[in-house]
Amino acid sequence: MFQDVAANYESYMSLLATRQRLVASNIANVDTPGYHTQDIDFRAEFDRQTHGQESGLGPRVIEAQGLVTKADGNNVNLDREARLLAENAMRFQIASTMAKGYVKHIKAAINEGKS
Amino acid sequence: MSLLSALSVSASGMSAQRARTELLVENLANADTTRTPEGGPYRRKDVVFTSDAYATQFSSMFESAYTTGGTGVRVAEVITDQREPEKRYMPGHPDADGDGYVAYPRMNPAEDMVDLLSASRGYQANVAAMSAVKDMVQRSLDLLR
Repeated sequence: MFQDVAANYESYMSLLATRQRLVASNIANVDTPGYHTQDIDFRAEFDRQTHGQESGLGPRVIEAQGLVTKADGNNVNLDREARLLAENAMRFQIASTMAKGYVKHIKAAINEGKS
Repeated sequence: MSLLSALSVSASGMSAQRARTELLVENLANADTTRTPEGGPYRRKDVVFTSDAYATQFSSMFESAYTTGGTGVRVAEVITDQREPEKRYMPGHPDADGDGYVAYPRMNPAEDMVDLLSASRGYQANVAAMSAVKDMVQRSLDLLR
């Protein structure tokens, strides 16, 4: 049971980290001709990782849909990336705070049992 | 660790935009230069970016073996403007040709200023990304305390 909860936090945070890296790469390539915005299907990847269908492979990187392509073939929308950047950082903060609280509870249970 | 490689990606974006800024400033500084080591007036320079798989750290190499995507950026080439120089009638100028015309760089300061703004914004966006990632790494470290 403990492992389940901890593993869920881990998958969630590692997926956020992967997504943040793709956002960083989209921002870095904002002026690269022909570059296409990269993303992951967060929900599908999270479901796959938490429902025991771990393939041993990392998350599958897809091209984000529905973005306007500029004249140079680049379709990075800086506003979208800025939003995702802030959103991922905040979600990560929430998850890490919750994971920390969770560990604290287990520690408390162990320590109370000892005395 | 995938977060640390995000830092290299942002760093590549920053150095690419910095290289572009250097060229744009060079263009502005040489807007009226009529003599160059290659001969003739100064010619406008610009960069071409290309996305690039980072291959600087061992961990990144290992990472990219099973997670595709997440690429940095680098300067692929520096292009030199091949347009004909602008001719100005200045018979007293030492670089004037037989008819009294001097070849000046064909330069539009507005073009360079707009590119400079765009490079500066791009740099800022990369700094913001780096700072957000740094914050996430810090959060992960706090889990151990």
